Amino acid sequence: MNPKLWIAGALVAGFGMLSFTQETPKATADTYGSLADTILAVKRTEANFVRALLDGHHHAALSFHQRGNSERASAEMSLFANEGDNAIGGVRKRLLEGGHHHNADGESKGLYEAGYVVVTKKAKEQLLAASAAMRAAKTDAERSAAWTQFDAAAAPLLKGK
Amino acid sequence: MTRAWVVALVLASCGDEPAPVRAPIEPVAASGALRFVDVAASAGVTATTWCGRPEKPHLLESGGTGLALFDADRDGDLDLYLVNGWRLAGDQVVERSKNVFYSNRGDGTFEDATERSGLGDDGWGCGVEVGDVDGNGALDVFVTHFGPDVLYLGRGDGTFERASVSPGLDGWSAGAALFDGDRDGDLDLFVSGYIEATLEEVLAAEPTLDWKDLKVMFGPFGMEGERDAYFENDGHGVFRDATEEAGMVDVGLYYGFGVLACDFDDDLDLDVYVANDSNPNYFYRNDGTGKFKEIGLWSGAALESSGRAQAGMGVAAGDVDGDGRADLLVTNFADDFSTLYLNHGECLFRDATSPWGVRGPTYEFLSWGAVFEDFDLDGRRDLFIANGHIYPQADLVAADSLGYAQTNLVLLNEGKRFRDVSDEAGPGLAVKASSRGVAAGDLDGDGDVDLVIANVDSAPTVLRNESTRRGAWLVVDAPGAIRVEVRCGEQRAVRHQVYGGSFCSPSDRRFHFGLGGAARADEVVAVWPDGTRVEHKDVAPSRVLALSR
Repeated sequence: MNPKLWIAGALVAGFGMLSFTQETPKATADTYGSLADTILAVKRTEANFVRALLDGHHHAALSFHQRGNSERASAEMSLFANEGDNAIGGVRKRLLEGGHHHNADGESKGLYEAGYVVVTKKAKEQLLAASAAMRAAKTDAERSAAWTQFDAAAAPLLKGK
Repeated sequence: MTRAWVVALVLASCGDEPAPVRAPIEPVAASGALRFVDVAASAGVTATTWCGRPEKPHLLESGGTGLALFDADRDGDLDLYLVNGWRLAGDQVVERSKNVFYSNRGDGTFEDATERSGLGDDGWGCGVEVGDVDGNGALDVFVTHFGPDVLYLGRGDGTFERASVSPGLDGWSAGAALFDGDRDGDLDLFVSGYIEATLEEVLAAEPTLDWKDLKVMFGPFGMEGERDAYFENDGHGVFRDATEEAGMVDVGLYYGFGVLACDFDDDLDLDVYVANDSNPNYFYRNDGTGKFKEIGLWSGAALESSGRAQAGMGVAAGDVDGDGRADLLVTNFADDFSTLYLNHGECLFRDATSPWGVRGPTYEFLSWGAVFEDFDLDGRRDLFIANGHIYPQADLVAADSLGYAQTNLVLLNEGKRFRDVSDEAGPGLAVKASSRGVAAGDLDGDGDVDLVIANVDSAPTVLRNESTRRGAWLVVDAPGAIRVEVRCGEQRAVRHQVYGGSFCSPSDRRFHFGLGGAARADEVVAVWPDGTRVEHKDVAPSRVLALSR
């Protein structure tokens, strides 16, 4: 077969297929659109859920700090830094094993640890340092400084984008 | 005879606090000249420990095996027990290799006494732990497996009988620690689980993971974690699963490897540390009643200083900075460092990897077993780390890669940091292998600490210590003691008992001290979990001092 004729045939067939794909029934496209809304909403819900979790640790940490229990305050601060305890870590591991990376782009840029939703690597380091400072604090002034350090790193994360 | 010297002082309170540490034992001179020679062949330790196929298509084949140094026949020297895996070819099991028991002749040479001992287990062995679980005075042996774990009950004469019922997991378990978790006088058991897998999956495995433009074994990400478990002893060597009530549920199903129990907060109960591969490490703090709280994140010992979980493999504990508290070292994957956590008291740790000089020397290696020991007897705990890659394909990557078989590391403690002296530490440190477990003890009875290292698909390395001695030695044999303190003038050294440890490889449980510049020990104090203190004054060096309650 003449090669030019073969290429022309292929192009016609390709346009035919393109034409076919453009004729996806509106209802089908709408359904996929709704599914996309749901997927994106689930992702937003995941972020909201993790923020609610962090808010809980933040409140608990503040409460313990205000009552002078720096050991428990420090523990809650470290759980905030880690986006939850080991039970939550186990769920995060499952999601990763299933291929779900909430911040895939942020992970590829080195901003987030794998599977983390809200807490950035930089924030985690600051939050853990504040937690360590709180547990090592010997005076009210040191405890207060540790809390200020923690709150400064936590507040933007709780506020969200 | 030594028991006649024993003075027992039972404290009314269990909440004994250690006396403030004034200063660590002063070295007699600047530390130097560590030297080790591999004497495996001449010592008669020649058995190969297998782990799957040479090409390692499944993660199970990367784990290698552990070993134990203990006095099985109560003749005063250390015997050697090597755990063995299976040999595979293609999708077939070629050999269910047996574990090997070597009896020490008393001079650091060994004879294969596997058949006589009854310890020739032919399951796919992973790790081992040693302890007297039935209280008959003889050491028993617990072997972790890919498959059901097995307990062997010792008769005290170097022979063992397989227990009719064994505690443990029926999966892929790795590290284990036999320790008295609830302070009722018997040994309980913690076992770490790594991943869930079946033999069928192992045999059918293909390398599918992309790594440095090569295909290597898949995992552990994407694999289901095997649970960790805690078993309570009823006092007669019968165990029941008490994981949940003890507060030790592996909620993350993390990939557990190295395990140890040690009293990190000096409250006379034993806490448990688990090195988790690719996940935060667990730190279980004991409340004194056998109830534990996982405080890893809070303690500062779950992550490295920037907040990143590492690929925990092995773990060592011991006082490296001379403050009387047990510090921690966790070994990790290649292109990452082993992490040194200094204990600041009350279970609070700080990552001191960089200031202590551990980061650089350990960064390129893939590290496994580790021990803190005073190799030159200068009064400071040095550090030995066993290395070896998990991917045989590592030999195919760039020339600067360390490859699959790697040399091991020895770091000399100079008081405020470690110095890597591996290159100048004799031919024993030039041996290249894919090493896993390491255990320490005085094999030849000359007073210094030797080492045995398990290697994948080859014979072990037996490192005889020929280091320049910077002091005299003293060994305190105090079974069940939680710590031993030695005072020389105003200086004091503390050794904590460590159960489990390294990578699935228990070392000699006796407390070994280098006395540095001191001619004698003014006071030796052993402390038991019930608060019993046994003291001995004016102790001459170069001897084994037996202390009991």
